[in-house]
Amino acid sequence: MEIDLDGIVIIVGNYGSGKTEVSINLAVNRKRAGLEVRIADLDLVNPYFRTREAKARLAELGIEVVVPPKQYMQADLPILSPVVAGMIRQPSQLTLLDTGGNDVGVNVLAALGDALSGKKIHVLQVVNPFRPFTDTIRGCLKIRYEIERASRLSISGIIGNANLIDETTVKDIYTGYDFALGLSKESGLPLKFVTVTAELMPEIDIKHFTCPVLLIERQLVPPWKRSFSLTSKME
Amino acid sequence: MGKILMKGNEAIAEAAIRAGCLNYFGYPITPQSEVAEYLSRRMPEVGGVFLQGESEVAVSYMLFGASACGARVFTTSSSPGISLMGEGISYIAGAQCPAVFVNIMRGGPGLGGILPSQSDYFQATKGGGHGDYRLLVMAPASVQEAVEMIMLAFPLAEKYRNPVMLLGDGLIGQMMEPVEFPDHLNSEPTNKDEWATNGMDTRGSNKRNLVKSLFLDAGKLNEHNLMLKAKYDRMKREEIRYELYNIESDYKTLIVSYGTMSRVCKTAIDNMKDEGLEVGMVRPQTLFPFPEKAIYEAASKESCKIVVSIEMSMGQMVEDVERSVKGKLLVRWYGKCGGDVPTPEEVIEAVKSFNKGA
Repeated sequence: MEIDLDGIVIIVGNYGSGKTEVSINLAVNRKRAGLEVRIADLDLVNPYFRTREAKARLAELGIEVVVPPKQYMQADLPILSPVVAGMIRQPSQLTLLDTGGNDVGVNVLAALGDALSGKKIHVLQVVNPFRPFTDTIRGCLKIRYEIERASRLSISGIIGNANLIDETTVKDIYTGYDFALGLSKESGLPLKFVTVTAELMPEIDIKHFTCPVLLIERQLVPPWKRSFSLTSKME
Repeated sequence: MGKILMKGNEAIAEAAIRAGCLNYFGYPITPQSEVAEYLSRRMPEVGGVFLQGESEVAVSYMLFGASACGARVFTTSSSPGISLMGEGISYIAGAQCPAVFVNIMRGGPGLGGILPSQSDYFQATKGGGHGDYRLLVMAPASVQEAVEMIMLAFPLAEKYRNPVMLLGDGLIGQMMEPVEFPDHLNSEPTNKDEWATNGMDTRGSNKRNLVKSLFLDAGKLNEHNLMLKAKYDRMKREEIRYELYNIESDYKTLIVSYGTMSRVCKTAIDNMKDEGLEVGMVRPQTLFPFPEKAIYEAASKESCKIVVSIEMSMGQMVEDVERSVKGKLLVRWYGKCGGDVPTPEEVIEAVKSFNKGA
């Protein structure tokens, strides 16, 4: 089952749910499917582990990453590049906006309200039930409403991103899938896709899922680990 | 409860609750603000106190006051914030109150930067505040170890009636790793009736407890400082913690490294082993007391020719490593402290270049 997403896609979710890793890999997936892809790093809240760290690797694939000017890249300041409004007004085949965590992380979207108005957009909430505060459906719904209030946008779908990084097991993936299905049922929001890392993919029965699966080739790693090469293995 | 995925900052916050600490006073600063954010949500759930002070100076005295009354207390901050707390830390140490401080370091001096650094080694281990005092300093290298050290920090602070500091760089605070938590500890210092100003009636005693750091009489102050020194000497005997890595090999180079920097070194050591180059490592888990004997013994190995202190500071740990090696070998330094964490490849290059010169 193919991931069928284009237009403007906004990735939201609670802090540490995996928005950036999902955004980067979604961009790669769509690029490999032949779409023209641009991605904007809208994380104005937290200065660590942001899309901007994978900029060079994405650029090699022909994916444009919109980030603040270089001298402000590591500043602890909420800098929103004017380019972002422009890329919303004239979107690529896929325009990805990777926001910061929780409701505070999407305040920036309200500032882009004019540019977004009248546009068809997907707002997708990333959910990892192995994170604090989103280990229950109630917790996920609470974050959903907080994000919707702060962004003044409606969430339109769910991304199941169950993982314990290196320690994720096949069982965790299936448990997380069931959790995401439950959340989908409770919220009435469609489950757009679930994620599986390249390391676990060979062990996963893809027929287990009724939704598409996004392959995660981990890019945001601590300095003692190597990130997955995006260029050596084009599919 | 199984494992959950947590940022170091969140795990530190949760670990403090599990350690029975229900009093957090803090002031936000990158890269540790998530501790405060997490606790502002969790403390009301567990009936604890979350209080944002008007400054770090105020926070340090909130800790002092609550600790003096026998409460288990902690705070977290980052480099410039810890500088501001320096005065309060000195008062708390002087008055012998237990308290736990967490410093998630950023680059300095001055305003510096917000990326990972280990530039507060001197501040944590040699002073920071005024007067003859020491902090018991622990440095975690993983999120799970940060949890375990926090659980240990409170009992140690109470055993010595002295502040304990957890020293982590920005990566420890920000990275996510799976963690699990030990069982809850009890929520009160067990020895508090001996020193806390919690009321004679409350503890059914007719002995007044007095918390103070003022001693105007020269003899009394000297006596007080001798007693403090005896505690620090006891820490040196009883609280040294360290990890040895690839120490059974015939290494020519010995690395001394702590915190997340030591994890980069481990990857470098594994990669060098694959190439046939053996390198050993001593990772201090306590920075004060410092594992002098372990480093001396590791450097005394017949095959060892070079000792390298690898850290995200301009060599602040080198003096302690030199003291440990006792002049047996030359101690070199490799590191960076602008926020870029050295890569395993850079560590390998440094080790090889020192090898050439040896």
